[in-house]
Amino acid sequence: MEIRRMSDSLLISGAAFMLGDDVNTDINCSNKYLPGKDVAYVAQHAFEQLSPGLASQIASHDGGILVAGEHFGINSSREQATHVLHQMKVRAIVAKSFGRQFFRNAINNGLPVFECDTSSIIQGQSISLNLAKGELSTQGHVLQKTHPLPPEILAILSMGGLVPFLQKYPDWKFA
Amino acid sequence: MGSTIVEKILAKHAGRDRVQAGEVVVAEVDYAMVTDTRAVNTIKMIDRFGDQPLQFAKKTSLVLDHYSPPPTQEAADIHSEMRAFAAARGTGLYDIGEGICHQVLPEGGHLTCGDLVVGTDTHSVTYGAFNAFGTGIEGTDVSAVMMSSKLWFRVPQTVHIDLKGVLAPGVWAKDITLAMLGKFGAEGLNYRAIEYVGDAVRAMEIDDRMTLCNHAAELGSKAAILEADEKTFAWLAAHGAKKPQPVFADADAKYAGRFIIDVTNLAPQLARKHEVDDIVGVDQIERQKIQFALIGTCTNGRLDDIRQAASILKGRKLAAGIRMIVTPASRQIYLAALREGLIEILTTAGASFESAGCGTCVGITNRLVPGDGDTVISTANRNFKGRLTNKNADIWLGSAATVAASALTGFITDPRLVEGGTWRSAA
Repeated sequence: MEIRRMSDSLLISGAAFMLGDDVNTDINCSNKYLPGKDVAYVAQHAFEQLSPGLASQIASHDGGILVAGEHFGINSSREQATHVLHQMKVRAIVAKSFGRQFFRNAINNGLPVFECDTSSIIQGQSISLNLAKGELSTQGHVLQKTHPLPPEILAILSMGGLVPFLQKYPDWKFA
Repeated sequence: MGSTIVEKILAKHAGRDRVQAGEVVVAEVDYAMVTDTRAVNTIKMIDRFGDQPLQFAKKTSLVLDHYSPPPTQEAADIHSEMRAFAAARGTGLYDIGEGICHQVLPEGGHLTCGDLVVGTDTHSVTYGAFNAFGTGIEGTDVSAVMMSSKLWFRVPQTVHIDLKGVLAPGVWAKDITLAMLGKFGAEGLNYRAIEYVGDAVRAMEIDDRMTLCNHAAELGSKAAILEADEKTFAWLAAHGAKKPQPVFADADAKYAGRFIIDVTNLAPQLARKHEVDDIVGVDQIERQKIQFALIGTCTNGRLDDIRQAASILKGRKLAAGIRMIVTPASRQIYLAALREGLIEILTTAGASFESAGCGTCVGITNRLVPGDGDTVISTANRNFKGRLTNKNADIWLGSAATVAASALTGFITDPRLVEGGTWRSAA
């Protein structure tokens, strides 16, 4: 039963919302330069400079998948960005590559990341991710394959992040 | 097929014979560090586990360095929270003025060769100077380490860089790292570990080796690591570190790239304003006026950096209108500079000293705010527009020798052209 729930949570679908290369989440998706503003405020204005209206477009679809180019989350990468992305109902991020710390933060906070060539994906396209298999598909056709994330990471993601994972498996040993 | 240094350290800490680049391992951590910029988030995450005992607390230090001294009530309150947490849960604590995290951790004897060390700051790669795997992490990561003593790591690919030849007097590790940024570009080695080897590395003193590894953060590196030698062992022993367990790469280790760089003819290098990878030799810059000079930060705030400056400024005055700040990386360095008479030399020349910390590197404490149109020459590791709060000021980066020579003349100056500019620490 648990395995079934886990694999369900590793299947994600939604409309693609496109961003470019080198998206800096400190600048575009945190309060690093908006002192005192909370997650809810930042979530309404995130990525405004890069894609005006993005937050409200995602909201009008009741969530979606961000699709970006190289180095999503480049630089020191505040963990808060992942809280903002959850608030925006971003279900996963697909990018050609991720900034190192953003990649960690996303997994630790239960936000799925998927690394593959994104050049053939278009704005608004309906896409599906199978994280366990490492497949990105559209209308039933596999568009991209990547190395699937290892079991430890899939377990952390399916449980909603590293803290809930360790609350359940304090010694990192999971079935 | 053999393993690189980083692969060996991660394998050992994961209880495995070997690991391969790209795979994820769960590894035992030796030491963790939390700075004041990330402490609130970290404590919040740890609180989610309740108040069960933290076995790892004795292997953790909280460092009050970024907001040192606290510029606002909010920062002072964060520090109070950190002191209370350290007292209640049993972690170590370095209070304001003790120094920058990447200096106080090695100075405190908290790490040794072969260790796996994590810290909430990208420049945690500095620990590679001691043949330890050091890398930057975030609050949730630290909470996991404190709860379980373990963390997941994706094993990075390693790039092998052989620094051949001998640096000319007046040229330093800072100049090599800036040249690397010119070659690879900012984030050009994203997610890679770097192994720096070669005659030029062996010739470096520990201070310069720390600069070499520290600056790899701007290359996007996950780690930058050196082989250990007698200098490493002597330094670690003098600072009370555990017995070193040096790790060497296998002859048949697999690297994602191998580069041989001869540093013999390298000139002092500069990163021009705003871009950490817009690199040019100091000999190619003419009549670039400066107004502000900074020697300090986790990259170049060590004793040899202050000695370079004192060698150039001894018995002289800063050029008219130049403001110069020296921020030692730690209190121990400040005291060593005091004992050597360097503080008197530099203060007499017209420089001001700030207490050890991060405040003059980044616009956090407002202890170094340039005016509109000012050009700052700094030993820091980053020069983004507005890093020192004023977007109408420019920041250039160079070695301590280049910064001091420039403060002397008022123009960006090749230290090899001024008296005392080719001073070199005794081997």
